[in-house]
Amino acid sequence: MSLDYVKFSNGFEKFMPKEYRDMVEHGPFGKKVTVSQMGSFKEVLEEHPMCAGCAMTLFIRLAMIAFPNPEDTITVGTAGCGRLAISQAAIPFVYGNYGDQNGVASGLSRGLRLRFGDKPKDVVVMAGDGGTADIGFQQVLHSWFRKERFTTIMLDNEVYGNTGGQESGMTNRGAVLKMAPLGKKFEKMDMLQMAKVAGCAYVATVVPNNPRRVESVIKKAVLIAREVGSTYIQAYTSCNIEYAIPTDKVMEDAKTVENDRYQFTEYVSEEAKQYLAERYGYKEFLPKPAAAIPNKA
Amino acid sequence: MYLVADISVEICASKSCKLCTQYCPEANTILYSEEMGKERGFKYGSAYVAVDRCKGCAQCVWVCDNMAKNNAIKMIMIDQLPKAALTDNITYGEKSTTAVLMSPVVG
Ligand SMILES: Cc1ncc(C[n+]2csc(CCOP(=O)(O)OP(=O)(O)O)c2C)c(N)n1
Ligand code: SF4
Ligand code: SF4
Ligand code: SF4
Repeated sequence: MSLDYVKFSNGFEKFMPKEYRDMVEHGPFGKKVTVSQMGSFKEVLEEHPMCAGCAMTLFIRLAMIAFPNPEDTITVGTAGCGRLAISQAAIPFVYGNYGDQNGVASGLSRGLRLRFGDKPKDVVVMAGDGGTADIGFQQVLHSWFRKERFTTIMLDNEVYGNTGGQESGMTNRGAVLKMAPLGKKFEKMDMLQMAKVAGCAYVATVVPNNPRRVESVIKKAVLIAREVGSTYIQAYTSCNIEYAIPTDKVMEDAKTVENDRYQFTEYVSEEAKQYLAERYGYKEFLPKPAAAIPNKA
Repeated sequence: MYLVADISVEICASKSCKLCTQYCPEANTILYSEEMGKERGFKYGSAYVAVDRCKGCAQCVWVCDNMAKNNAIKMIMIDQLPKAALTDNITYGEKSTTAVLMSPVVG
């Protein structure tokens, strides 16, 4: 985990595949790349087997561009569609049993701190809504209550996509799915509120039809997790297979859902605001100068 | 046979907004080339598709038609493409890429 792992071993350069050479020479390592430069540099994400037009794929692509230091990042995932892409990137990926991702990430982030001290090594969990809110729920909540310093991202497609359409805690009430033919009987879980109650320092909702916003949210969440505490991002990443969204309408759906029920929200704790302002120059979080008291004539 | 996205350099380079590069779900599939537009007399470059990576979802068509309002992208059967870029023939530069276009792509 350093720039050393993104260079050629002596004498091997000419034997490496083109994608690898492009990655070393024109990848994002050790540079600052942004969403607006997309299409002009080699991305860390490679080809993978996720479905054509999947919004989750786009979100993962954007997230990986937004990581502040990709060469010092480890991703953690679990069973579900997302890992099919997350594992195909030039970023180390840890894959455990279904639902144990936040337990694994807790140990990993503590271990990295012991080994590397103050040098930031970022741990980012990306898991489905089933993995996060159902099967991994206990470990997710406990990692937040313990204020473990890593980022949890829920890839919320509101269904178990990888196994053919069972309802999850994040499915909306009434939704009829292939393996929930009577429609879901309960409300969508409010994981955002739970994240706040459990003490997360940063909580945001985002939809991938605004790439710059995805970039900004991920950057803040990863930076805050370095020192302040747990951070949580909940991203609407529709499953075009289980919800029968034509692939050329996936962004239209994202826009509609964003307007209807997945508006952008962002909670930043006071400590996190101060940290972002002082350490990383986030002007919007600088303390506001005291308002001038108007002179009484 | 299957469909892939094809970007008209003439139409794209007149706007060159790069939106489709940010919305294609697949990494390094829609790329940007300064040269491609400039060598045809446009001020800006053009987006183009590495068709070996394209999964044919047509999301880029929606983005160009509805967000960029430029209608520069069409879905075409891969064996009907006049000329197209493949990953092996793409070179990354400082701020842009260049591509040697192949014809035919398959067959
Ligand atoms: C312990 C265990 N139980 C069940 C499974 C089967 N399984 C694989 S993926 C998955 C559902 C994933 O749903 P979600 O977490 O919402 O992710 P998505 O595929 O929708 O992105 C299940 C049940 C498993 N891998 N391990
Ligand atoms: S099944 Fe759904 S979530 Fe999974 S890759 Fe396909 S479209 Fe995406
Ligand atoms: S969205 Fe359309 S106009 Fe904009 S870069 Fe892509 S092809 Fe060109
Ligand atoms: S059709 Fe889909 S995969 Fe192909 S270039 Fe367009 S957005 Fe990308």
